Amino acid sequence: MSVIEQTRQDALNLFEKLGLPTLRDEDWKYTDASRLKDLLQPTPIDENIHIKDMGINGLDAYRMVFINGMFAEAESDLPEGVSILSLAELEKNSVGEDAKGIAKLFTVDTQAPLMNGFNAYNAAKASDGSVIILADNAILTKPLYILHISNQSNVVRHSFMIGQHAQAEIIEHFISAGDNKALSNSCSFVALKAEAHLEHSRIQQEGDKQSHVARVQVKQCKGSSYTFHGVELGAALSRTDLVVNLHGEGASCDLNGLFVLGGRQHADHHTRIDHKAPHCTSRELYRTVLDGRSHGVFNGKVMVHEGAVKTDSNMSNGNILLSKHAEIDTKPELEIYNDDVKCAHGATIGQLDDKQLFYLRSRGISAEAAQELLTFAFADEVLVAMSNQTVRSYVEKAAFAKLPHGDNLEEMLGS
Amino acid sequence: MLEVKDLHVSVDGKKILKGLNLTINAGEVHAIMGPNGAGKSTLSNVIAGRDGYEITSGSITYKNDDLLEMSPEERAWAGVFLAFQYPVEIPGVNNTYLLKAGVNAKRKHQGLEELDAFDFMQTVKEKAKLVELDPSFLSRSVNEGFSGGEKKRNEIFQMAVLEPSLALLDETDSGLDIDALRIVAGGVNKLRSPDRAMVMITHYQRLLDYIEPDFVHVLADGMIQKTGDKSLALELEEHGYDWVKENK
Repeated sequence: MSVIEQTRQDALNLFEKLGLPTLRDEDWKYTDASRLKDLLQPTPIDENIHIKDMGINGLDAYRMVFINGMFAEAESDLPEGVSILSLAELEKNSVGEDAKGIAKLFTVDTQAPLMNGFNAYNAAKASDGSVIILADNAILTKPLYILHISNQSNVVRHSFMIGQHAQAEIIEHFISAGDNKALSNSCSFVALKAEAHLEHSRIQQEGDKQSHVARVQVKQCKGSSYTFHGVELGAALSRTDLVVNLHGEGASCDLNGLFVLGGRQHADHHTRIDHKAPHCTSRELYRTVLDGRSHGVFNGKVMVHEGAVKTDSNMSNGNILLSKHAEIDTKPELEIYNDDVKCAHGATIGQLDDKQLFYLRSRGISAEAAQELLTFAFADEVLVAMSNQTVRSYVEKAAFAKLPHGDNLEEMLGS
Repeated sequence: MLEVKDLHVSVDGKKILKGLNLTINAGEVHAIMGPNGAGKSTLSNVIAGRDGYEITSGSITYKNDDLLEMSPEERAWAGVFLAFQYPVEIPGVNNTYLLKAGVNAKRKHQGLEELDAFDFMQTVKEKAKLVELDPSFLSRSVNEGFSGGEKKRNEIFQMAVLEPSLALLDETDSGLDIDALRIVAGGVNKLRSPDRAMVMITHYQRLLDYIEPDFVHVLADGMIQKTGDKSLALELEEHGYDWVKENK
């Protein structure tokens, strides 16, 4: 057995030991993973999916397409001189020391926060993924757009390694072809060297019978900055564990999350930020707009370790319930093990503000449009931090479309 | 234009307006003065259509229509405008979007075509000058982070863009320093016109030095106690509201 095969076998053994999380696990008490058991196994087949015009149109970006978890080279457009590689290719072609290096990409860190059976399964069974290595001082001149299209269960595993002073923008987009019942199991590992910067968006827009389980794990060295935009619009059930380790002095992260859900959709984000070094900054803004019988879960934990002096951390979670049957479970948590910190956290749950509604109506905006406008404005504040305007306006339109009278709104704003 | 007849209004079971009568014609500027709790803001809110007020009897007729049957947006389309005493902040809603949506909703209601985006921006920039509103405010969220004075200026700016027939200015002078008051009042004066009526609600005579009313009404205990010309405001300033009650 090769070193890579052995590592993946270890991951499988770990998965068999862990099993899937259950409602009895504190971190999974609102999200029932048991119904995903039969959907775990990936089916990495090229279904002849007609992918033309799928994804974000008009986005000026390098492009990497995955169909049912497999890299579709013919559909992709990658830059010269930057290592953007297929994990499956690397796995197949690596021997000796190289193979040891690749094996590390499949190693499961059992000590990492929020580690679970899905993550071990991902390491064991990932069909493919990307390995992106940006050299020191390199700047990716265009964003990298990673489009995942699926109609079968799929397992992908990405590693983004950004060198010192290097900068990149990566957009992961998840969509479905057809309405099969399937599970996407995705992991993205991010390593930022000193003073590196990454803006990382994940737009989950899969079909309403699909489920989506993800892990994003970030390690930040000195002075690096990481901006995350997590958008949950699709899937029947989705769960993301976002784990950020502020490991080097002066590192900063900016985590933005938006759920716009309806019907019986369920979305759950568990985030964990570890402040391990002095002078690090974390900012987190999550908002949900829940209609129908949808269910949102937000659990944000900030852990300020001993020695992480001058920590500056701010977390805020706001939720609007458009229907009396919608439900949100929110829990911002803060654990602090030193004195010299500035930390704030809070959550709100509510309906739209009557005073704001009346103000808009008194200016001639109909009651219905005023509700839409306020709902949209509430959601859109999360997207302000998105620097890519093409992606932002795509997400805005997709979010509009999910609101009860979104077409009116689009017309009204004329955007 | 506006005819309020024997209006009785309660809030949470408490009687606030107790048989108020008021007639306002096009081109007129009225000032309604009165002590705290007299019902001044209740009157303007009821005219604009805010929830939470129980109209127990009486009527309000506006341009021959029953105003009380109309929703707040229908009133806006028909030309009613309220400059709020405490304009609310609306993060995420752009000031210009709001006005464009308001103007176009009104035009749609009137069977007119929507304004061209360029023409609209030209109009907006012109009107901003009227109250010396910094153009940067146009692209900011409605009232968000505005100072008290900026909020009031923004109200008058919105009035200028929406071009109402009946404008209610609810304590537009409160919280303004003398320079801001002069600017806001200057904006209001430029908006006076023969087919527009204005109602200023205020505590103080000071505003009336800048915007000269045709009529001054004293509202106390839920009724108009006395009506006169601008000299009434001066007498009030001198003698206080108790004098009105004694000299009805």
